Amino acid sequence: MSEALRSLAPATQQADARRQAQLLRALSYIGLFTLAFIVLIPFFWMLSTSFKPARGIFVMPPQWIPNPFILDHYVTIWQKTHLARGLVNSTFIALSTTVGEIATSTLAGFAFARMRFPAKGPLFGLLLMTMMIPGIVTLIPTFILFGELDWIDTFNPVILPYLLGTPFALFLSRQFFSGLPRELEDAAKVDGASFFQIYRHVFMPQARPLVATLFVLGYLHRWNDFLAPLIYLRSPEIQTVSVMLARLVDFYVQDWSVLMAGAMIALLPILIIFVVLQRFIIESVAFSGLKG
Amino acid sequence: MIRLRPRLSQASNTRREALWAWLFILPVTAGFLLFVLGPMLASLALSFTKWDLLSPAEWAGTTNWHSIFSVSVVHTPQARDEASGELLFQCGRHRNVPASELADWQQRNDERSGEPFDCRPGYPRDREVLPERFGVVSEVTLFGNRWLLGARDHVLWIALFNTVYMLLAVPIGMALALAVAIVLNQQLRGRNLLRAVFYLPNVLPIAATSVIWLWIFNPEFGILNHLLGSMGLPANGRWLSHQGTVKPSLMIMGIWSALGFQMLIYLAALQAVPAQLYEAAVIDGAGLWNRFRFVTWPSLSPTTFFLLVTGMIFGFQSFAQPYIMTRGGPGNASRTVVMEIWKNGFADLEMGYASAQAWLLGVIILLITVANFRLARRWVFYEHEQHV
Repeated sequence: MSEALRSLAPATQQADARRQAQLLRALSYIGLFTLAFIVLIPFFWMLSTSFKPARGIFVMPPQWIPNPFILDHYVTIWQKTHLARGLVNSTFIALSTTVGEIATSTLAGFAFARMRFPAKGPLFGLLLMTMMIPGIVTLIPTFILFGELDWIDTFNPVILPYLLGTPFALFLSRQFFSGLPRELEDAAKVDGASFFQIYRHVFMPQARPLVATLFVLGYLHRWNDFLAPLIYLRSPEIQTVSVMLARLVDFYVQDWSVLMAGAMIALLPILIIFVVLQRFIIESVAFSGLKG
Repeated sequence: MIRLRPRLSQASNTRREALWAWLFILPVTAGFLLFVLGPMLASLALSFTKWDLLSPAEWAGTTNWHSIFSVSVVHTPQARDEASGELLFQCGRHRNVPASELADWQQRNDERSGEPFDCRPGYPRDREVLPERFGVVSEVTLFGNRWLLGARDHVLWIALFNTVYMLLAVPIGMALALAVAIVLNQQLRGRNLLRAVFYLPNVLPIAATSVIWLWIFNPEFGILNHLLGSMGLPANGRWLSHQGTVKPSLMIMGIWSALGFQMLIYLAALQAVPAQLYEAAVIDGAGLWNRFRFVTWPSLSPTTFFLLVTGMIFGFQSFAQPYIMTRGGPGNASRTVVMEIWKNGFADLEMGYASAQAWLLGVIILLITVANFRLARRWVFYEHEQHV
């Protein structure tokens, strides 16, 4: 009798464990999907408001599905504000700074990783220190400098500093190039290639994942920049979409449908990029986070 | 002679390599000198001047720094009548109610609210006890004693307090992110979709999400109060328009926006935890909690450290979100240090003073970061250290 029970025990225990695991899994699904829904509510709310007539937004309880469903606010945004121009400006700034940043940072990262030269260690340490220094400390003298150059209200102040590379991109590039095998440049050196040729034709073709990561992260970062564009870009013709949207809050006070249509337009390009490159962006962020 | 040649060319090779390398790092170094080191030192120099950009800069000595650090704590006991020595109370708007008349007053109704008078110990007016031109940063009242923290630039210190207060969102968000990452780190269907959804708020422009949340927090027609009401919870929150709730409200949005990033980094780190560690723990009979406590948490400690440090550096420089959503209000309740620097520098053109404030913030961030690194030695566990 007791022996029969004992042989049964493992089976019930296993069944218990399986049931427990199933329960845990079910709870995980419920919890995660609920949280995902909560995270998305702001977007549903934005979309819903942006398609409602002005009176509809003050109806209680709120309607999630707008009835009537109108596009007027998007037309208003398109015709009465410069938001479309802002999209072009943001794209231009994000693209040019990112491309420039990649060129200069990978070049320097290559030198720090694969070349020998005096003062290499201290120089790299000094450059890395900039990562620790909060950008805010340099804000005011930089403003004065650009003022002296008569560059306020031009693109220069928001583009030029990034063109000369960022410590983050430099750090990531050096890490990446240090990890590549030594044979790569040896063969090229025997063939008498110059250092720039080695960088350009041997290392850069290997660096696709690095370049892609830097591109995605740089682009998103630049697109979201707020303080510098706010300070430097004064006329609507050159403002970024983010700064313009912030200005709209003062013009369209309480006109929430128009503001939500504006927010939608401001985030749409990034949303599209994210949906298309989602997997890749997520991997880039995780990759850079682990390195950092 | 023949032997010398390769040596010579080797020396020139070394020199050529160094020249090329310096050429390669030239742009980055120039950027560092022009846009970081130079401005940093200039900023320090500026902090000793008074300059509105319109007239020439004037040397101001330590005036700016003196103003910033003009801080004092004033202790005041409950006010007494000078003649009779009786303790004084304040009933509604009426100051200087002597203790002997207190019972009378408590019987009467306030002419403003129509409710019985609310009487409490009276204290001298702030400006009577604080040094000249000082404002109140904060006050504590305990057992008939009041302590006032006053400062010449009280707005700056309030902003610093707000900024530090709102940093609490970092560990809270990280705890939530870790929980989500652990749950998500199973073989689940729809895992990539969920991961993308959680991460989405983090990639979108902060200006756009701030405008959306401005509308969510709207006390009358916003969706937040409506949702709370439909769940039977109190639905009369004033969120961004009340001094007591504005900071938590901004923190809620901050957590929403950072959650995905923190989760992603945790998730990547979780996938790197060696499976043998868990197997060993199971063999030792460790339950879910003990596996978390003794395997997951120590393995993730470098990640926790990274998120904490970057989150704090980022949080100290918070600007766009409060600028768009509250402009620092109501009162000064959501003003951050960077908003203060921005206002002094670019609205009031006090370049010297704003530079001093910026340096103060820079030094605070640096000190906190260094302290974090020091503390990290006690709790951060790096796997490779075992082998050393």
